Amino acid sequence: MVVVQRKELTLAERLYLPEVLRGLSLTFRKFFEKPITRQYPEQPLPTDEVTRGQPRLVVKDDGNIACVSCGMCEIACPAYAITIDGGETDRMIEREPKKFEIDMLRCILCGFCEEACPKDAIFMSNELELADYTRAGLVYDIEKLKRPKSALQKRIDYVYRLNNRWRSKQ
Amino acid sequence: MTKIQINGREVEADPKQPLIRACHDQGVDVPMYCYHPGLAPVGSCRICQVEVAAAPGQPSRVVAACRTPVSEGMVVSTDTPKAHDTRRECLEFLLKNHPLDCPICDKAGECDLQDYSFNEGQGKGRSSEPRRKLEKRKSLGDVIVLDEERCILCSRCVRFFTDVTKKAQLTVEGLGSRSVINTYMDKPLEGNYQGNLADICPVGALTSKKFRFQARVWNLSKTLSTCGECSRGCSISVEALRAKEVKRLRPRYNAAVNQWWMCDTGRHALAPLTRPLAPEGAVLGGRLRGAAVRGYNGLELADDVAALDLAADMLAAHPGAAVIVSPFATQEEAKAALALAQALKATPQFVSPAPNGLKDDLLHTGDPCPNRRGLVEQGFTALEPAAALAALAAAPAAVLAGERVLEFLGHEGLAKLPTKLRLVAFDVETSDIPALDVVFPVPTHVEKSGHWVNVDGHVGVLNVAVPPPSGVRRLDAQLAALAAKLAATPARS
Amino acid sequence: MEDFVKELPVWVLWVAKVAIIFGGLVATAALMSLAERKVSAWMQYRHGPNRVGPFGLLQPLADGIKFIFKEELIPAGANKFLFRLAPALAAIPAMMTIAVIPIGTIQIGETKIPFSIAQVDLGIMYMLALGGLSVYGAILGGWASNSKYSLLGGLRASAQMISYELTLILSILVVVALSGSLDLGAIVEAQRVNGLWNVFTPFGALAFVLFTIASFAETNRHPFDFAECEPELVGGFHTEYSAMRFALFFLGEYCAMTVMACLNTTLFFGGPSVPFWANAPWYVGILAFLIKAGFFLFLFIWVRWTLPRFRFDQLMRLGWKVALPIALANLLVVGAWVAFSTKGS
Repeated sequence: MVVVQRKELTLAERLYLPEVLRGLSLTFRKFFEKPITRQYPEQPLPTDEVTRGQPRLVVKDDGNIACVSCGMCEIACPAYAITIDGGETDRMIEREPKKFEIDMLRCILCGFCEEACPKDAIFMSNELELADYTRAGLVYDIEKLKRPKSALQKRIDYVYRLNNRWRSKQ
Repeated sequence: MTKIQINGREVEADPKQPLIRACHDQGVDVPMYCYHPGLAPVGSCRICQVEVAAAPGQPSRVVAACRTPVSEGMVVSTDTPKAHDTRRECLEFLLKNHPLDCPICDKAGECDLQDYSFNEGQGKGRSSEPRRKLEKRKSLGDVIVLDEERCILCSRCVRFFTDVTKKAQLTVEGLGSRSVINTYMDKPLEGNYQGNLADICPVGALTSKKFRFQARVWNLSKTLSTCGECSRGCSISVEALRAKEVKRLRPRYNAAVNQWWMCDTGRHALAPLTRPLAPEGAVLGGRLRGAAVRGYNGLELADDVAALDLAADMLAAHPGAAVIVSPFATQEEAKAALALAQALKATPQFVSPAPNGLKDDLLHTGDPCPNRRGLVEQGFTALEPAAALAALAAAPAAVLAGERVLEFLGHEGLAKLPTKLRLVAFDVETSDIPALDVVFPVPTHVEKSGHWVNVDGHVGVLNVAVPPPSGVRRLDAQLAALAAKLAATPARS
Repeated sequence: MEDFVKELPVWVLWVAKVAIIFGGLVATAALMSLAERKVSAWMQYRHGPNRVGPFGLLQPLADGIKFIFKEELIPAGANKFLFRLAPALAAIPAMMTIAVIPIGTIQIGETKIPFSIAQVDLGIMYMLALGGLSVYGAILGGWASNSKYSLLGGLRASAQMISYELTLILSILVVVALSGSLDLGAIVEAQRVNGLWNVFTPFGALAFVLFTIASFAETNRHPFDFAECEPELVGGFHTEYSAMRFALFFLGEYCAMTVMACLNTTLFFGGPSVPFWANAPWYVGILAFLIKAGFFLFLFIWVRWTLPRFRFDQLMRLGWKVALPIALANLLVVGAWVAFSTKGS
């Protein structure tokens, strides 16, 4: 059992007015301090490679999408946000996604897709903003998800560093 | 029967079967690549090695279970370190040249090599040599593509042609590490059973051109069903992408009907199962969305109940209607159609299209009526399409019921029918037939449950693999509703 | 200029003064809604509204537009007439009381024009009478809404206003006794003549503290805002109000605050008089008045964002068992002191 010992109030405290003045002086001092609020659209949140933003698809330097639509991210996705339909291509890698959709309203930015991908094709970008006038507009198709590899390079390097650290521990 | 001991358990085994079969019959998992229960064992892959002693206490050694006959008192252990080690080493050799294609490979998810590598493999290869570079996309005819790199040379495909179709077409070409699978003289494969190669290939070397890269196998829902291509009624599994779109039909083992195989015509008969819906609000140009009745501007979508009332009224007002069902009608639908025919005092008949000339010695019967035997047993009369059309032209009214019944009768012939004929049809799709007054939508045979009786009297089961389009009701229920409505409608003559 | 002003009809001056003072009052109330949010933000390391106009100065305008375009809802079962009347009853008396506050004197040449709408001998009586009416807004609004939260809020508001009205009046009476007049102008003049603001006299100081506390309670401001105690009563008597009617309640509250600030200035801080500068020009006087009133307005906000809300029983205990006896005793002593000292002189 916990017995709470209430402090006996002094006369000044019981009179309350001195305490009111003390409180007023405190708020008055805080009045002149610098605001810590971030002015969001003008000052966006600083992001770096650790930021786990929305998933994006890597476009390799030769202009082809790195994804081979193996479906690993689709099966790894705990929110069922990813839908992939594959198809045949004439390239050396015979398979590519014909449809690759991520329902950003379902996506929980967990990064499992990035972890599951065997082809380094999907990475969590530092893009965080998500707004549209319709729900359908937030189901991102392949064109909206494509990013050049250079734009995601920092994250790719980071993921490799992270994975190597895990491997060396094993 | 012979008594042997498998993993410490006394069991009885058939001495005519190889040891691996005895293990599998007892539910003991022994991996296999080259062995297939439907093909002669050759023992080329060595993955099925188990530890065997001639008798308890005797020295044991590791042998390939597929080539070892069962002998009295044999002691078999599949789970010993020695057996595991041998299999692991064997796998390492198999994987030496196998490319890491799993993200691309169609077999991924149902690949024996993946499964056993996961169970028995060592995770890392020790070879520092580069893998073989071979042709990745070698076309073997219209149905099959060969990826030579992925091939582990189990020769199942070679033996399929020698053992099952009895017409050898494939061979292992070259020697040693240069061995590849090829056809004789580079001729394309022929025959109606090539699709089975994609099924029996334990890895992703032989893949079906039609299914290539269409779906990941773990996204396919598998439903037990029966093939409707011919009266053989092969047992199949219907595999649909995300339980919505039928992507492939695969044979399923049925000792009495089709063993492990099915023909390519049946395997590729996807078009009738995946036809698109008619445009919103339209009757023609795709599958029927709902009941349609003839209005001033041709067929128009109508309320189901109103259409049923109209059909019952017409049939009541024009006695002597003919009842013709589709050869695809299930036993249950046939029963409902029989009741309707009795109510209309009609002879129950079914359309029986002519044999399509695909008959062969293995499975295909050439008769495109999957439920012929069942319908005949229920008392239906077979009717050639031409005869059926003649009967329709003479009849005052008619009920045509069942999946694709209009197609089997022939749309051209139906279009020539006199418009005074009162025609009520139940079909998946219709054309603009002038005589057609009311038409109701029905599900296809992968969208309903039921039974077919095949040519030998074996019952094949149908299950719901994909949901029918919204508002499409079972045919037997619709026929029963029509019969009930008819009974409640006073005759007007 | 001077001649021109002299020749103007009297009603023109009246209209001008009414327009300036009422306009100023409504503008102050509007700006207070912004100031409230700004000050609270600054006290909490935030920026406050800064999107509409420079530094968010046009925020009240934006809020006004929003209020106008919002849907006006009248709850089912509400007394429609009283429901519509209540916001007006809350806003109008609060705005009317400003009429008697002497803000200063406008001097053009030699002509002196008192800068207040009316110079009433019974200014304080007028003020208290109108101030007493504002309780009707709360109680009628609460009752007419046909909602238990509103009704409880209205009841609490009226109980609280009536309780603290006593203390308020008694502490004003101290000033009246000290100055010997009910005319606000005369009270200001007395302080100027004495050279001593009432707040610096011992009785006046006590009266000032009591008056300030009572004025917080009268205007339903923190820490006494039981009329709209959110955790308990959703929004109090104006729970069911929306759009411009709700804005009127808001306007009434801020006008009442402004008037109380002006009254505090007038009664205890010498109105427009400037310390140590007896002959200050008239505009400095008005400026001084505005600065003093502005400080009290700031005090309203300052206290709100410093103190937590009382419990209702604490409020009542403070009102009846602490403030009222002290105020009564204060008045008695002042009365005796005034009576005997004037008799003696």
